[in-house]
Amino acid sequence: MNNFHNVNNIGMVAQQQNMQNRIKIGVRNWQNATMQDLLNFISRNARVTLSNASIEGPLIVGYVQSKDQADSIMKWNGANFAGNKLKFELLDGQGGTSNTIEFLRQFIINRYDPQTKMLNLGGLAQDPILIQKGMFNNLSTQSRMFPAMMKVASKEPQLIVESVNLADNKLKDINVVSSLPQSFPNLKNLCLANNQIMRLNSLESWKNKFKNLRELLMTNNPITSNNSYRSEMLRVFPKLAILDNVMVRDAAKLDSIFNFPIKLQQFYFENDQLGQSSTDFVTNFLNFWDSDRSQLLNLYSPQSQFSVSANTSVPASTIKDADQNASFGYYLPHSRNIAKMSSEKSIEQRLAIGQEQINTLFQSLPKTKHALLNDPNGYSMETIAYPQVNGYMVILHGYFEETDKPDIVPNSKTTSRGKRFGSHTPANNRLCKKSFDRIWVIVPMNNTFVVASDELTVRSYTSNTWSQPAAPALVAPAATPSAVPVGIPTAPMNNMTAMNPGLVQGGVPALAPTLQLPPDVQARLTPVQLELLNKLHLQTKLNAEYSYMLAEQSGWNYDNALKAFQASVQNLPREAFIQ
Amino acid sequence: MNNTFNNNNTGNGNDMNTKQQPHITETFIQKIFAHLDNQDVSKLNNFLQLFSNNSNGKIIINGQRSNDAMSFLTLWSQQIVSTQHSITSIDYHLIPGSGTVLCNIGAKVRFDESGRDKNGQDAVIRNNQNQNQNQLNQNRNRQFWGSYFGVSLQLILDDRIYRNDLNGVINSFNYTIINKPDDSLIEL
Repeated sequence: MNNFHNVNNIGMVAQQQNMQNRIKIGVRNWQNATMQDLLNFISRNARVTLSNASIEGPLIVGYVQSKDQADSIMKWNGANFAGNKLKFELLDGQGGTSNTIEFLRQFIINRYDPQTKMLNLGGLAQDPILIQKGMFNNLSTQSRMFPAMMKVASKEPQLIVESVNLADNKLKDINVVSSLPQSFPNLKNLCLANNQIMRLNSLESWKNKFKNLRELLMTNNPITSNNSYRSEMLRVFPKLAILDNVMVRDAAKLDSIFNFPIKLQQFYFENDQLGQSSTDFVTNFLNFWDSDRSQLLNLYSPQSQFSVSANTSVPASTIKDADQNASFGYYLPHSRNIAKMSSEKSIEQRLAIGQEQINTLFQSLPKTKHALLNDPNGYSMETIAYPQVNGYMVILHGYFEETDKPDIVPNSKTTSRGKRFGSHTPANNRLCKKSFDRIWVIVPMNNTFVVASDELTVRSYTSNTWSQPAAPALVAPAATPSAVPVGIPTAPMNNMTAMNPGLVQGGVPALAPTLQLPPDVQARLTPVQLELLNKLHLQTKLNAEYSYMLAEQSGWNYDNALKAFQASVQNLPREAFIQ
Repeated sequence: MNNTFNNNNTGNGNDMNTKQQPHITETFIQKIFAHLDNQDVSKLNNFLQLFSNNSNGKIIINGQRSNDAMSFLTLWSQQIVSTQHSITSIDYHLIPGSGTVLCNIGAKVRFDESGRDKNGQDAVIRNNQNQNQNQLNQNRNRQFWGSYFGVSLQLILDDRIYRNDLNGVINSFNYTIINKPDDSLIEL
């Protein structure tokens, strides 16, 4: 580093300081002249420069360098300019707000107890620091301070808040703290004791918002003496089990009602051999599907069938990452979704039988990229024996990226139909990410195998259920490396290295189901290391990634790792733990 | 193509039924979902009769295998709140020579989030038995439907369904919940 750099840095710091102190000003009623005219007028009369000016709707917005400049500009409120009376307004002064945010951040961190995972916002009006800062002097500052606190708190990832205390805050209703569910949607315990909440419906805006709220404390609020208080609280909080220290719902019954009893598993294989060979099959198949589909044709016999169906139903907007506006233009002319079709002729025509027809249909679908290797958690698979064909059924759920339009796009011959339905507009043919479900029926034959049936359903992209943190996806049953797959040799896929995403090799210690390691990472670790990792994971409740990081940074020494964990636990982000 | 025609007629050979196949398939699948959505425990046996009871029959729910149709249906009727399915896509292939038809079905499902099970019972602890009864009767049939989940269902059916024989025709039943709305109270 030379000095010049330092000088530059100082300059930058100074500039940043300036940027932070500057104040945003908006000007109204200037429309009869140009922006430059207005800037000249201000600089001539108020002796202040409005920098970085721009037009935002009816306003001209710009910055002045200091509070003094802002004051002097405000004195020109109502000045005549181009036939109108100018109106100046202060927009959120950036310098002031960012200081307040930092203050609130510190305040919240001080009020958080990582041991109990509780954020204590009780008795704020009595807090000496807040009093000194004048933040809870009157109702209007209070009403602004609570939402600001919630917002700041929700941006601190290291705060894992399971309990919030809002006791002794003179609350008459929950209006000022109504954003609490947005900040802490998984809150388990809430205390509102010693407030002045009176009206039965005052918690209405929280209805169904706290989906995990188990305990609520409202003692010393007038509302508790109301006859319907208990039933009202039960109505607003569907999973509330303890109200004012009294059991109001049977926790076991509650669990049985709101938990789907069959937990989701990412993989089902009827036996280990099937798991190994079907994973190989799917990986190889999709590789060719993405790169050169014609290479797949030798898997199909003259009697093999393939069809694609477009499931165009729009997923619920509350499903994470749901594509609400997917385009199915390339699929609809070929879609064999019989739930949406009435013509038997089309249903028959859209079934491709034999290599030639299957090839044509393959080339009529957009080019794709599947991410089976990079993102094995994006895929879920079931493999089920199909004794009637002496074969197997492989079902894959997942997603793909559309990378290019199909080789065969419906041409002028079909435009009359296309025009009628308006189905070939650019918007309908937009390439996007899609989710899919695909079934292959695989029949072993003469040392190789045939795909007897292949059904592809394409649907709008959504996040999936099996890789969400709430449902610990189980690692696939370990396939013993020595076992030679019988039944389904992977012969036709020459010179492709067999890849098995999500599959672990045999002979490793039993790992906790929540400890999911990428196969390549796991392969590199010794059984001793794996055992240590597992122990750490169970002890610290850290997720796989952080457990690994901790183990590695502590030189694979359990005691050192635990010490390091205890020293840094307060600063770890929420995502670091098993969700 | 002649080939097409022959394929679709394997083990069947009835022209009229060939044309009817898509409709019969769809109607049968609707029937299955109606059974899943049914709250009336006394009709459980009708549903059970559809499942094949030989050892080839398989039921896999969310990647987990169920022992047999009986235990699956018992679980479904006793431990899952009321559901409402709606079909979004169906495709099917008759597999030549196998006497079976393979269906790939997309659906959406929503759950009763009123906090009551199929019998109308909730988790609320009551001190007063009378109050209990009153509330039960009042709310018995009122469901509060949540947002839709996505479902993918694969079925292997005997092609006897096209000859109006529904006894034990479901050979494999693979039901997977593929996506979940954040605002649902139901945990997977």
